[in-house]
Amino acid sequence: MDAPVLSGVEGPLLAIENLRTYFYSRAKRAFIRSVDGVSLGVARGETLGIVGESGSGKSVTALSAAGLVTAGPGVISGRIELRTNGTGYNLLEGLEKYARVTEQDGRVMAVEKDERGWRTHSEQLMAGVRGKKIAMIFQNPRSALNPYSTIGKQLVETIRLHTNFRGRREAKERAIHWLERVRIDSPRLRFDNFPFGMSGGMCQRAMLAMALSAEPSLLIADEPTTGLDATIQSRVVDLLAELKAGTGVATILISHDISVIQRLSDRIAVMYGGTVVETGRAEEVLAPEVVVRHPYTAALLASIPNAETIRRKSYLQAIEGDVLDTIDVPRGCRFYGRCHRVTDAIRENCAGLEPPLAEVAPGHKVRCWLYAAAGKA
Amino acid sequence: MNRAILEVTDLRKHYSQRRGLVSRLTGQGRVIPAVDGVSFYLRENETVGLVGESGCGKTTIGRTVLRLTDPTSGRIVFDGRDITTLSRAELRPLRREMQMIFQDLDAGLNPKMRVLAILREALTVHDRPSDAEIAKRIHELLEQVNLKDSKLANFPSELSGGEKRRVGIARVLAVRPRLIVADEPTSALDISIQAQVVNLLRDLQKNLGLSYLFISHDLPVVELVSQKVAVMYLGRIVEMGLSEKIAHQPRHPYTGILWSSLADKQNAEVSPYTGDGATAERGRRIWGVSDFEQPVSGCRFAPRCPLYKDKGRPAICTDPASEPQLRDVGNGHVVACHFA
Repeated sequence: MDAPVLSGVEGPLLAIENLRTYFYSRAKRAFIRSVDGVSLGVARGETLGIVGESGSGKSVTALSAAGLVTAGPGVISGRIELRTNGTGYNLLEGLEKYARVTEQDGRVMAVEKDERGWRTHSEQLMAGVRGKKIAMIFQNPRSALNPYSTIGKQLVETIRLHTNFRGRREAKERAIHWLERVRIDSPRLRFDNFPFGMSGGMCQRAMLAMALSAEPSLLIADEPTTGLDATIQSRVVDLLAELKAGTGVATILISHDISVIQRLSDRIAVMYGGTVVETGRAEEVLAPEVVVRHPYTAALLASIPNAETIRRKSYLQAIEGDVLDTIDVPRGCRFYGRCHRVTDAIRENCAGLEPPLAEVAPGHKVRCWLYAAAGKA
Repeated sequence: MNRAILEVTDLRKHYSQRRGLVSRLTGQGRVIPAVDGVSFYLRENETVGLVGESGCGKTTIGRTVLRLTDPTSGRIVFDGRDITTLSRAELRPLRREMQMIFQDLDAGLNPKMRVLAILREALTVHDRPSDAEIAKRIHELLEQVNLKDSKLANFPSELSGGEKRRVGIARVLAVRPRLIVADEPTSALDISIQAQVVNLLRDLQKNLGLSYLFISHDLPVVELVSQKVAVMYLGRIVEMGLSEKIAHQPRHPYTGILWSSLADKQNAEVSPYTGDGATAERGRRIWGVSDFEQPVSGCRFAPRCPLYKDKGRPAICTDPASEPQLRDVGNGHVVACHFA
C-alpha cells in the first residue's frame, strides 16, 4: 500500500505539523520528550538548517520524517506531509488509531500505543517514499554502508530499485556518473572498492552518491561533516553546496556546527529541548548585527570563539547550566533556567507558561516572552 | 621567563604491524611511524597546543610524554629529570605530577562508583589522608571545578556531559598535578558546554599554575588557550610558533590549508569548484588524507602541497635525502619547508 494521495498540493515540499516523538525511559519511569510539538516546512529546492545541541531533538525530528524511529513509543502524534510530483502524501496517515495519548493541561500524561501495528502500517506508508523520495545521509558513513558489498554494487542496487535505469549496464554507468559527481577520483576503480578500503571522507561521498542517485525530492543530511577532519569537512561542505546548486534537491541539514549551517542553509531552525525556539531566513537568524533573536541563539553564537575573543584572549561567554533534560521539562520557557534576559515584567510568564512562536518580522519567528507581544501586535 | 617543565627531544614512536604469513615468517612487518622525530618544550604555567588531522600522531605524543606508552627512541625530560627510561616503580611518584584528561568523557569514571567514591579514590591513591582532610579536599575540588555538592551521590551515568567532564577534571586535580595533557577535552561536549570547560581550564591554569599540552582539532579553541601551537603532519611537527603567528601568518603551506579550511566552511564565495580549472584541481587534490600507507621520500606533505605544484614540482621536495627540517625563521618560530 502506498501512502494515500492528498488533494491540494500547494505549499511546501515537506510540512511537519505539531510533531511529537517520545521515548520511554524505563530507569526513570518517564517520557523523554525528544520532539515536543515541532512544526517545520521545507520548500522545494530549499535547504533548511537545523541547529541545536545534543538532545535538542534535531535528529529525532528528521528520523521521524523518514519513518525511522523504531524505539517505542516513538512518534505519537502530529502530521507530516510530503508533496511531490503534484501529489501529496501524509506520512502519518491513519496511524493515530494505533496510539492513544492521554493529555492533561496540554501535557502528555500517558501513551498507549500498539507499536507493532504502528510499525507495520508505517512501513507500508514509507515503502514508496523512503530512499526514493526522501533520502538520508548520516554522520557515520561506514555504519550506513554495507561492509560486505562493494560501493558499486550498493549504488547499482539503489539505482535499479528507484530510477528508470533498470538495466544492469545502464545502472552501472549511472552509478559511475554519480561517483564522478561527488568527486571521487577514478570512479571506475572505486566502483569495486569495499567501504573498509576507503577513507571517512570518501565513504561520506559514496553515501551521498547513493542518496542522490535515487533522485529524491528531499535529502536529509544528519551531521554530514561531524567526525571528519577539518580539511575534509570544508570539502564536503563545498560538495554539498555544489550538488545543491546542481540538482536542486531540497535538504534538511542537521548540524551542531554553526559555520556549516551558515554556509549551506537558506532557512534555519534553532532547536532547544525538543522545540523550535527560532526560525527564519539564514541571514536573519545568524547575522551578527541582528538584535531581535532568541536569547538561546544569541548565547550560542556568543559562546563560540570569534576573532575578537581570540585576539584579546578573553573569556568565552559560556551559557551557564546544562543542556535541558527533556524528561523533566519545565512548565514555562524551556530556556528559562539558563536565560540571562529574563526581565521582571515577563518573569512570571517565563517561569510558568511556554511562550508562543511569535513572528517578529515576516518569516522570522522567535519563541520568547520578550517578543511575544510584538508578535501579537 | 618560566623554566621548562617538559622537554621532548627527537621523540619517536613506531608501531609495527605484521600481517599475513609471509611477513610473519620473514619478520618484516610494516612499521607505522606514528611519531617520527618530534622535539618541543613546554614552559611552566604555559599551554602548548598540538593540532593536526586525525592519525597525525597528536594523541601518541600525549601518551608517550606521560610514559603511558613507551617511546621507540628520543628523550623526555620532565622538570629537569630524564624520564625516558624510568621503570614503572620509579615513575609512580611522578605520576601525580603529570596527568591526562582523556577525550572520552567516561574514561576514568568507574560506572559502578558514585562521584564521591571516584574522588575519594583519586585522593587516596598516593596519600593516606584523614577522613576530615578528604572531606575538605573533596569540597575544595568541587569548588574548583564548579560542581554542586549534590552530585557526589550520583553515578556517572546520571551526569550530563559537562558534569562528567568536570568530575574527570576534579579527579585529575585531586593529585595536584603540575602538567596536564588534555587530549581533545572539549570535542565530546555541546557547544554551550565547551565554552564553560574552556573557561574552567584557563581559570585552573591561572589559579594553580598548571601547564597544559593541549591536543585538539578545534583550531579556534587551540588558538584561544595556547601561547604556542605546534602543527603536526604524519608524525612530525611541520611548524611551531606563537599561536597568533600560526593562525594569521602561517609559513608552512599545510598550516595555511588547515586554517583556511576553517574559513572556507563559512565562506560561500570561495568555492574551489566554481572557479577556474586550476582551483578546481586544487580542491580535488586536498581530498587526500594524511596516510602512512605511502612511503615517504623527501617532504611528507609534497603529495598534497599546493606550493609544490605551483613551483613546478621541484626535485628537492621529493628528494629522499633532504626531508625538510625545522628551521628558525625568527622569534622562535620554526618551519619545516624548503620554501618557507
